[in-house]
Amino acid sequence: MNHLEKSDALQQGIIVFVFLAVLTALEFFIAVAIEAIALLAAVAVIKVGLVLYYYMHIYKLDQDSGEDQHSLAYKTSTSRLGLWLFLLSDAFVFGGLAVARFNLLGFTRPHLNQTLGLAVTSVLLLSSFFMNRAEASMAHGDRRGFALGILITLILGVAFVAGVLGVEWPMAIAEGVSPSASAAGAIFFMMTGMHALHVVTGLIFLGIVWRNGVRGLYSAERHWAVEAAAVYWHFVDVVWIFFYPALYLVGSIS
Amino acid sequence: MRKFLASALARGLLWQVAGWLVGAAFVTGIRLLLGLRPLGLFFFTEPAWVFGGFVGVLAFVAGSRIADDWFRWARGQQTPQHRDDPPGWDKYIGVSLDHKVIGIQYTVTSLLLLVVGGSFALVFRTELSATGLQFLSLQWYNTFMSLHGIGMIIGILLGVAGVINYLVPMLIGAQDMAFPRLNAFSFWIAVPGVVLLLSSLALGGFDTGWTGYPPLSARGPVGTQMFFLGVFTAGWSSILGGLNLIATTLRMRARGMTAFRMPILVWAAIATSLITLTATQLIGLSFQLVMFQRLFGMGFFDPGKGGNPVLFQHLFWFYSHPAVYVFVLPGLGVISELLPVFVRKPLYGYRWIAMSSLGIALVGFLVWAHHMFASGMNSYLQVPFMYSTLLVAVPTGVKFFSWVATVWRGKIEMPTPMLFVLGGIVVFLLGGLSGPPNATVATDLHLTDTYFIVGHFHDTIFGGYVFPFFAAIYYWFPKATGRRMNEKLGKLHFWLMTPSFLALTLMMMRVGLLGMRRRIADYDPTLGFDGYHLMMTIAGYLIALSVAIFLLNLFKSIKHGEEAPGNIWNSRSPEWQVPSPMPVHNFDRPIEVIGEPYDYGLAGSQYTRFVQAAHEEDPHP
Repeated sequence: MNHLEKSDALQQGIIVFVFLAVLTALEFFIAVAIEAIALLAAVAVIKVGLVLYYYMHIYKLDQDSGEDQHSLAYKTSTSRLGLWLFLLSDAFVFGGLAVARFNLLGFTRPHLNQTLGLAVTSVLLLSSFFMNRAEASMAHGDRRGFALGILITLILGVAFVAGVLGVEWPMAIAEGVSPSASAAGAIFFMMTGMHALHVVTGLIFLGIVWRNGVRGLYSAERHWAVEAAAVYWHFVDVVWIFFYPALYLVGSIS
Repeated sequence: MRKFLASALARGLLWQVAGWLVGAAFVTGIRLLLGLRPLGLFFFTEPAWVFGGFVGVLAFVAGSRIADDWFRWARGQQTPQHRDDPPGWDKYIGVSLDHKVIGIQYTVTSLLLLVVGGSFALVFRTELSATGLQFLSLQWYNTFMSLHGIGMIIGILLGVAGVINYLVPMLIGAQDMAFPRLNAFSFWIAVPGVVLLLSSLALGGFDTGWTGYPPLSARGPVGTQMFFLGVFTAGWSSILGGLNLIATTLRMRARGMTAFRMPILVWAAIATSLITLTATQLIGLSFQLVMFQRLFGMGFFDPGKGGNPVLFQHLFWFYSHPAVYVFVLPGLGVISELLPVFVRKPLYGYRWIAMSSLGIALVGFLVWAHHMFASGMNSYLQVPFMYSTLLVAVPTGVKFFSWVATVWRGKIEMPTPMLFVLGGIVVFLLGGLSGPPNATVATDLHLTDTYFIVGHFHDTIFGGYVFPFFAAIYYWFPKATGRRMNEKLGKLHFWLMTPSFLALTLMMMRVGLLGMRRRIADYDPTLGFDGYHLMMTIAGYLIALSVAIFLLNLFKSIKHGEEAPGNIWNSRSPEWQVPSPMPVHNFDRPIEVIGEPYDYGLAGSQYTRFVQAAHEEDPHP
């Protein structure tokens, strides 16, 4: 990221976001028009690839951090590896849930409110864009841009949790998709609940980073905590990129 | 005593109990307000116990102050890079960031849990020594049988973590793990987990066996929930420990230590950690799903609601089969590590052994459904899983051939650690050879759920873990204490345990072939198994006696063992090139690798050397 000029970073973030938005709209209309599971999977994989590369900077894992094990660059690189290993581990939880979902429901899906699903998905995607803005700002030493970006991310994150827990859950229960009524309801609540738990921990993380950032603890050279919060936040988005089609779009209504 | 009460351990446990009661009372209060039945069979209701147990774990973390540095970071404060431990024994019951202290904490906890789990085995083994019910009720029999299984498993996982934590940083020439705070947290989070697990004894026990299959586990007593919650909590120890180990080996190696110049145990540790890092999440998930099914009526595994009980088995075995490789890979690594030392010859096929560890770990991810040949999964899955399972024999065979070739025409020395290494090879071979009959669908349908399986997996785990674990303790005890364990008692331990153990498992396989079912409290006298069972029980007690001798030896040698400050095994490994007990920061002068690790007996070869003073730079200018 540092090799990019600030304006280039902004431009790149916007282009990636536009791609993600278009792909999301595309998968929504694919699902409305035809039952094409492989196509949905392909779109999701492309979206995840974009996020992994441009927002999470997975290539940084391969960055040379020198020989000196006591240098800051070396330690940051080790921490980055640790974070990614944790995400790999965490991915198995969500992978297991996805397996359980297809084992229990096959290619049917619970009856859910499509508008709401698309809305919360867009909110989360947008939050990833602003998270990217915040991190890029800090990497260029722009504390005000950073604080603003994180704040918008926080608000969007809270809106996502409110949308899922506060609106979607009661609506689903009203539609008969309740945790105790059927396996379909159980797996829906388990998947969204586990994801929401991660969103909430991400929000806490963001809050901490925002507070410390405003107090001037990070700089362009030294902001590992900001990067970690950003990567974690994008990971939560990655999970939703798979969960959204798995819950809302795949197959026919049971 | 006052030292103990002020320790992280005592504070944590106290807080855990308090948190447990507060959490349970909280739920009970809410139930009262909602007009639900406030109290249950074990005073509190099940949701109250579970929520309380969860709060108790958080309270343990708060009370023992293991996460305090992270809270300080969150508040934007700096924390010291290093903390000095107090000199005495109390550093072992306090939070230490030193990987050697944490390794010993793991190992001691593991030994305690193995002794507890082993005693449970003696209890139900005694019950089995004759037909009819002697002194146990069916529920208690099931509880002891189940707790023996899961207690041993958690004990072994902690023991594996102990060996890895203590040794790997030394073996790669590092001063500590990559994330020392996370390392401490990984150990301490296991403690409330073990407490929860054992608390199931007081809450009605659980009768599902360690596998916890629904639908039985979805309706057993409250103890089942404590079993799930305890394993879930202790699982975090495994996951975070694996994460730390991988980061450590990738980032903290000494100069010149390329991948194929690492000690072979490090390869085994990486393979193990890949499994614990990823697959452990799925046993956690499967247990969580059953807990939620019980608490909220979510019908994941309830066919009446469209759920699928076989799904649990898939999720469960996706971890629990690779888990046995978590147990045995470090053990096999210890065997490969010690053999060249005691035969004074290079390790044969170093790269093949290194790759076979990774191979076993990776193939291990593809074999889980061989546990389910008889459980009604889709039959087209049977043959692929049969072949993938048989494939495990290939990398395992690589290890055996390379051990045999290493021993071939060596100058064999036979101190206690070498005895356990050779014993481990023999017993693991028996376990390995009794494996393919269970992997083959046709024979497995006959052998499923018989004592043949019990004999088979006890052989693999003893050969792959218990024998090498004892070897490792006898071998590295001087490194930790500066004294060595008594050889006579060590040999007595070996010669008492090995024949008893072989008799035990061979008889298990024998009665299993003849039709003895596993996990049952009683058997038909007309089957004619009384004599076998009596002998098995006696063999079990002899093993217990040998372990008691070991423990006696261990505790006496800490203070009174023969002093052994130097390289008593004549090893080339870096940790033996510095005095025992190991200095606080391992290597006061950094080491670098200049040769192959296992060139024993080759004149003029050298593995490591201390970095020359001219190159030395102050790491903290």
